[in-house]
Amino acid sequence: MTVAAGIGYTLLALGPSLSLFIAVIAKKPFLILTLLSSTLVWLISLIVLSGLWRAFLPFKTASLWPYALIILTSVAFQEALRPLFWRIYKRLEDMLDAVADRVSKPRLFITDKMQIALAGGMGHGVAHAVFFCLSLLTPSFGPGTYYMEKCSQMSFFLVSAIIALAFVTIHTLSMVIAFNGYAEGNKVDQYIVPVIHLIAAMLTLINLAHGGCIISIPLLYGMAVVTLGHCGKMVWTKLAENRSRQGSSY
Amino acid sequence: MDQNRKPRSILETLGEELVRIITPVSICMLLVVILVTVLNTHSEGSSIGPSFTTIATIAYSESSSDSIWDKLKGALLNSLVFVAVITVVTFLLVLLFYFRCTKFLKYYMGFSSFLVLGFMGGEIALFLIRDFGFPVDCVTFVIILFNFTVVGVFAVFMSKMAIFVTQAYLVVIGMLVAYWFTLLPEWTTWVLLVAMALYDLAAVLLPGGPLKLLVELAISRDEDIPALVYEARPVINSDSSPTGDVLQRRVWTERRNTGSALDENSDARPNFNPNTSPVTNSNTTPGTYLSVGSGENEINLVNAEEGQVFRGDSELAAPLIQHRINVRMNSEEDASPSENFALEGIGLGSSGAIKLGLGDFIFYSVLVGRAAMYDFMTVYACYLAIIAGLGATLILLAFCRKALPALPVSIMLGCKSMPSLPPGMAKTWPKPELKLGHTGPNCKDLRPA
Repeated sequence: MTVAAGIGYTLLALGPSLSLFIAVIAKKPFLILTLLSSTLVWLISLIVLSGLWRAFLPFKTASLWPYALIILTSVAFQEALRPLFWRIYKRLEDMLDAVADRVSKPRLFITDKMQIALAGGMGHGVAHAVFFCLSLLTPSFGPGTYYMEKCSQMSFFLVSAIIALAFVTIHTLSMVIAFNGYAEGNKVDQYIVPVIHLIAAMLTLINLAHGGCIISIPLLYGMAVVTLGHCGKMVWTKLAENRSRQGSSY
Repeated sequence: MDQNRKPRSILETLGEELVRIITPVSICMLLVVILVTVLNTHSEGSSIGPSFTTIATIAYSESSSDSIWDKLKGALLNSLVFVAVITVVTFLLVLLFYFRCTKFLKYYMGFSSFLVLGFMGGEIALFLIRDFGFPVDCVTFVIILFNFTVVGVFAVFMSKMAIFVTQAYLVVIGMLVAYWFTLLPEWTTWVLLVAMALYDLAAVLLPGGPLKLLVELAISRDEDIPALVYEARPVINSDSSPTGDVLQRRVWTERRNTGSALDENSDARPNFNPNTSPVTNSNTTPGTYLSVGSGENEINLVNAEEGQVFRGDSELAAPLIQHRINVRMNSEEDASPSENFALEGIGLGSSGAIKLGLGDFIFYSVLVGRAAMYDFMTVYACYLAIIAGLGATLILLAFCRKALPALPVSIMLGCKSMPSLPPGMAKTWPKPELKLGHTGPNCKDLRPA
């Protein structure tokens, strides 16, 4: 209802990303390019997935398992892309270091590498938010609102914005965790990311039940907080050991 | 270096030129999308633009009752006429440039900006006023419009304006022209875009192409092409020699040896040796549009020439320099144009700005604006496709080191991403029956994930 509400819902889903963008990413053009390319890759992966699943849709049954199957395959596909990302990133890192040497500038700092991972993850998150939330928000700019009967406490737009926010957080931070896991060969980090993604996606299936969103949204946010905590701890330890190794302040 | 400050990493400056050209392109596209959504939804009932006759619809005027085959044929005919007119005008331009009628071309550019800003801008402003009901009277409106237009003409025409003002006005001109193009009938628009992409390809790469001739003339004479070209702010603005030309010239940095051009790296030298650096890779696509003045049948031929000048660097695609021909400050080098490569360094900020012709702005925005008439998701996908195409073109340029057209890759990617979206998205969400106001619900189909 009204432009203010539409903008409000948009900012609800994308507000933290916007502030993160302005604070961290906007200053470094390379990160902007990373963000754009990861958004593009996410988009392409979704297009491929929807192309694959098109033959089977729409589902006639009311049972859960077809949806679960879609989610499973989608998450599997997107997580399979992550090691690919990692390999591309490794090559990019080598190129960047070579360039840095040539122009006699310092090589990539550890914070730089994490920032690249952050930008990549945020690209995924923003793409998710745009697809699954912003594309629905167009009617909300007009004079009306919409409620779903299965989740009648909040308007449909609010629910999708809140869910999108949780997913943006998860995606943004997963990339950082995953890259760190690949860099150090830490199996826990490497596997926790697909697991989190899968659990979060499956949690949304609860939405299909009546009143399900009351349960699934707090759980989703629990997952987001878990991701946040894990990522924070990992970054903290990494920076601390880096600092002690270098003996200088960064 | 400062011990207390963290040394600047390479991440902070890499890719800066690319971002500086992507930003105005994105802004232009965003403005066109906003205009399209605002003006089209508000006048859903009433007939929006006039059923105007432009050169692009002169052959066939589409109506919704025609069959698909008829529409396709008509659209093809329209596009052929349009491309033919553009080719003729480009050759005319080459001819004029050959006879050194540069002043005439510059005045013409100013005149065309005046028309675009004054008449097209005025009409769009009138649409907006009508739709939103702004209380403004005629006299005020005319005065404001006139001032706006005149400042715009000076910004484009004379070089002494602040860069930001010039850039803003160029983006506005691109936006206005693009909006008018989106008013064309649907099939015509799509076929026209593809036709322009093909024309661009042909005109730049074929040996007899008008744009190739223009570029070679400009190189051999060491002159600027008088055109509406967007020039991104250079990374470091140093030593630009003041000239009286229309577009800012960047004095170039050091020379390199021809052979080692590819693996030469950037300097550590603090000062720049300006030398001649001609345009090595440039490509101009003139875009011509004809419009009918409101009500009357006069056809104003406006020639907005578009040019894209590139220069690739060997290191990473990111640092792309733009060459501008400029004043010889040192007469020591007399190298032939093709040998003079400007040096560019990542991070150390030797200046260089990318130029993108206004026609590229226009056609990208037309594609996105057209997509905006369908759905927001298509806009998003087309936007990403166009940006990816632009990036790919620049990277390709860095490898090819020849003049390359900017339109084809982006337009092809954009057109390809269009139909893949609406039917592709999974339809598992129940369609809401509610109609919300008159914005037309697009609570389409989505996945519950």
